Order: sequence, then structure tokens, then C-alpha cells
Amino acid sequence: MSAAESATAVQRSQVDLLDFIDWSGVECLNQSSSHSLSNALKQGYREDEGLNLESDADEQLLIYIPFTQVIKLHSVVVMGSEEEGPKTVKLFANREHMGFSNVSDFPPSDTAVLSSDNLKGKPVVLKYVKFQNVRSLTIFIEDNQSGSEITKIQKIALYGSTVETTDMKGLKKIEDH
Amino acid sequence: MVLEATMICIDNSEWMRNGDYSPSRFQAQADAVSLICGAKTQSNPENTVGILTMAGKGVRVLATPTSDLGKILSCMHGLEMGGETNLAAGILIAQLALKHRQNKNQQQRIIVFAGSPIKHERKALEIIGKKLKKNSVALDIVNFGEEEDGKPEKLEALLGSVNNNDTSHMVHVPPGQNALSDVLISTPVFTGDGEGGSGFAAAAAAAAAAGGVSDFDFGVDPNIDPELALALRVSMEEERARQEAAAKKAAEEAQPQSESQNATSTATEKVSDPMDEDDLLKQAVALSMNIPGSDSSAGDAQMSEATNDDQELALALQMSMQDGSKDSSAPSDVSKVLGDQSFMSSILSSLPGVDPNDPNVKDLLASLLGQSEPQEKKDEDEQPKDDK
Repeated sequence: MSAAESATAVQRSQVDLLDFIDWSGVECLNQSSSHSLSNALKQGYREDEGLNLESDADEQLLIYIPFTQVIKLHSVVVMGSEEEGPKTVKLFANREHMGFSNVSDFPPSDTAVLSSDNLKGKPVVLKYVKFQNVRSLTIFIEDNQSGSEITKIQKIALYGSTVETTDMKGLKKIEDH
Repeated sequence: MVLEATMICIDNSEWMRNGDYSPSRFQAQADAVSLICGAKTQSNPENTVGILTMAGKGVRVLATPTSDLGKILSCMHGLEMGGETNLAAGILIAQLALKHRQNKNQQQRIIVFAGSPIKHERKALEIIGKKLKKNSVALDIVNFGEEEDGKPEKLEALLGSVNNNDTSHMVHVPPGQNALSDVLISTPVFTGDGEGGSGFAAAAAAAAAAGGVSDFDFGVDPNIDPELALALRVSMEEERARQEAAAKKAAEEAQPQSESQNATSTATEKVSDPMDEDDLLKQAVALSMNIPGSDSSAGDAQMSEATNDDQELALALQMSMQDGSKDSSAPSDVSKVLGDQSFMSSILSSLPGVDPNDPNVKDLLASLLGQSEPQEKKDEDEQPKDDK
């Protein structure tokens, strides 16, 4: 029941928030330089199973995604392999410049433990009330399915809706007569 | 020009008293630190640098990352040597200091001066390196001073675990003639991954190589103070030109005979050759009044440049151009201008090396106002005066 509801919820009013990501501020700590965040986030790259986001020194990853406008986040999709895909995922809304040392300083807005269904593409529905006014999202991947040294993520997709905010580009200067 | 926050870890242990680097290891290290601070702040004004010491009673942060160069250099004064270096604690505390930097957009970098033996195990250093890499902190290691078995390998292991895309470097400086800072200037520690900072590094290298400031003209580095260097250069050239004009005038007065023979060739040459200042005077007046025909148009351009830069060159140009040319029309145009006494005296007083009260100059003026035959007479009159 809840699965059916969430599936229809995704179809109904939620859009893929890919267009609202502010790419200039996107950061990922502990990513491998050859397998970077774009492989998991960007259109086209994320569909390719051969291109993954991989961790470097250990299995944790810290991803920071700012948005160009305020959004409401409904659900996320995290896809990866059975063994090396992520397991515990913590999401923080509106926290800038987090580091691995302060992930435990405050509670996450939501936590998800990914099942194999999730890793195949089933969206994880979040606590919508916690993500009503999101300017930036921080995703902390704490560990992976098998406990290996490297975590591999094939795709990260965010679904939600936008809040009506002023589009600064649409503002025009008043012409002097 | 990358925006960076840097923490420099200084080794102030007992091993730094050794004199195998002149004047002492510690002093060489201090010089290198000052140069690094300068290079970092110059390559990007928003860069910040902090300092901590690793030995002594314990790791102590002397300055948190700041862009105030004076504060950084002042905290280097009065540092005591003693104790043993705690490399691991130093690096970790440096990382902590960088974590709390004010501008989170800055890249993080730690520069470590490893001058004493390392008491940590290789494994421990590798773990530290991984932690730095995970938090995207770059590390530069300066290996100098005490040479111990296994020290290079430990440092290599540390560098390997930190290094991400060649942002981290290690430099070995053996003891010897060259100062520590000189060796470091050419390394990526200064040049910052091959971009930026190299201007400062080149200037510093030139200054160091010359053993001081004397590598640049007038002892002023154009990189540091371009306006002062330019002002000094211009005033030097003006002084040189003035002295040349004065020397020429003295030479003419000593050789009236040879010049009077030249004067028989053409009318204008008679006027111009004995008195070089006359040439310059005519040129200056002609140019300022923008009189056409006083010279060819190409010559005008040449002359104007020549008079601005080198009066000797101008003289040579004019003489070569007047060879075989009938310039009789020019003096008549010029003479009208020359007739205006007040204008002439003001022009004369502004010319360097020309004294308006000089009898020779006065005669010149009079002669120019006249025709070519009176000019010959004047020349003969001038010769007895010159003989005096």
C-alpha cells in the first residue's frame, strides 16, 4: 500500500529536481578523482551503469548539493550494486560546509537504510515535513552493503516540487521614459 | 591564483640548533617561512596563512590563518628551540585550525618542515594522510636537517596517502651552500602547482641571486614599486640628456676652428653646426608650433621622438637630413617665431642646458632673425668670441 502510494506520489506532482541544482556549488568529500559526483548526478551519466561515483580513502562520502531556488523534497532514488552500494544514508537540509567530523554533531533531517529494492531504483520516501524549505541538501553515506573499502553509487535522483520564489532573471529594469 | 588557506608547521626542536644550514637550521627555516608567507599572500590577496610550532612543550598555534603578513612575521620573533617534534599532533592540529577557517571557500593546505627524526610509525602516518585526503587537505613536506634511516620512506608513505591529483608535494633539501629558501623558491611549494606566484618567486630569486637588491636598476624592484622605479628611470634619463647637452656645448667652445670650416657649406649648416643648441632650439620651436616644412613629415615624427628621448640622437638626425637640402624657407618661418622675444626667452629657459644670458645664445637668436649673408658675418664675429 505504501509502496503504491509512494509510486503514485512520485508520478503525481513531484518533478526531478535535476534542473534546480546549482552546479557551481556542488561538492563531494572523499570522492575518487576518476569517479566523481557527476557520474551519479548528471543526466545521461547516471543512467550509465559503467559510470559510478566511488569513494576514495574509505567507504564514507559526503555530498553537498545547493539548489537555485527553494524546493520541497519528497523522495530520493539511490541506485548502486548489491555489495558496494550504500546502506545507511543520512540527509541534512540547509547545512552548509559540513565535514566528516561534524556529521554527528546534529541529528539528520532523515535517515534511510537502503534495501536491495532501493538499490534497484525504488524511491525512498522521506519525512516530507522536514524538507519543506530546502535551499541545500547534504547527503552523508555512512557505510555500504558489504562493508567494503569502497562505496559505489550509480545514480542519485531527487524528487520534489518547487516553492514559489522570485525568479531574479525575470526581473526587468523599469525603463525611463 | 588559487584561493588557499595554509598552515605552516615549524620544527623548533633541539635538532634545529645545528649549523649545517647557514646560519643555523632554525634561521634558515624562519627565512623560508617568511618567503612562503609573502608568496602566498601575493599570489592571491584573500589567501590566509597560519603558523604553529611542533616542538617545545607541545604543539602551539602561533597564528590562526590570517592574511595579515605583519602579524605572521611578528609571531616568528622570539621563538625558543627545544624539545622534540610531535609530527602527528602538529599535522592534526593544523588540520583543525584549517577546519575553522573563516572563508570556507578556501582550499586547505598544510606545509610541514620535517627537520628532526620522526618517532611515529609509518602506519600511523598513513592513517593521518588518509584523513587529510578524506577532508581534501593538501600537504607539502620539506625534508631537511637531520637525516635518519627510514625518514624519507616514512615521509614518502605519508605523501602517498595524502596525495590526490598531485596537489601535495615533497622537497628534499640537503645541507650545503645554497640557503634553504633559495632551493625552495623553484619548487612547487612556492610556485603552487605551476600557476600563479611565479612572478613573486622570480623576483625573489633574482634578488636572492644578486645577493641583495642590486639586481635591479636604482635598487628598486619594479615588481614591488613600479611608480618609484619609473620615476627614478625618467629622472636619470633627463639628467643624462642634460649633461650631454652641457658637455656638447663645452666641446663646441673648444673646437671653433673645425666647426667654422663646416659652416662654409650651406647657409643653414653654418648656422646650425657651430651651435648645436640652435638646432635643438629650432626643432623645439618648430615642433611646438607644429610648423610644416621645417622638416619632412617623417622627419617630424623622428625628431619629436628623438628630442624627447635623446638630444644627441636628434642632433645627428637633423644633421643628416640637412645634408644637401635647401632649408632656407624653414628659418624664415622659424624666424617669425624667434622674433617674439618674450616667447623665446620662456622657451629658452625651459630647455635644459641652455642659459638665456649666454652671449652665444643671444648671438644665435640675432643671427637667426637675419638673412643668410648676415649670418656669415655673425659667424665670423662669433669665432673671435669663441677663441676667448
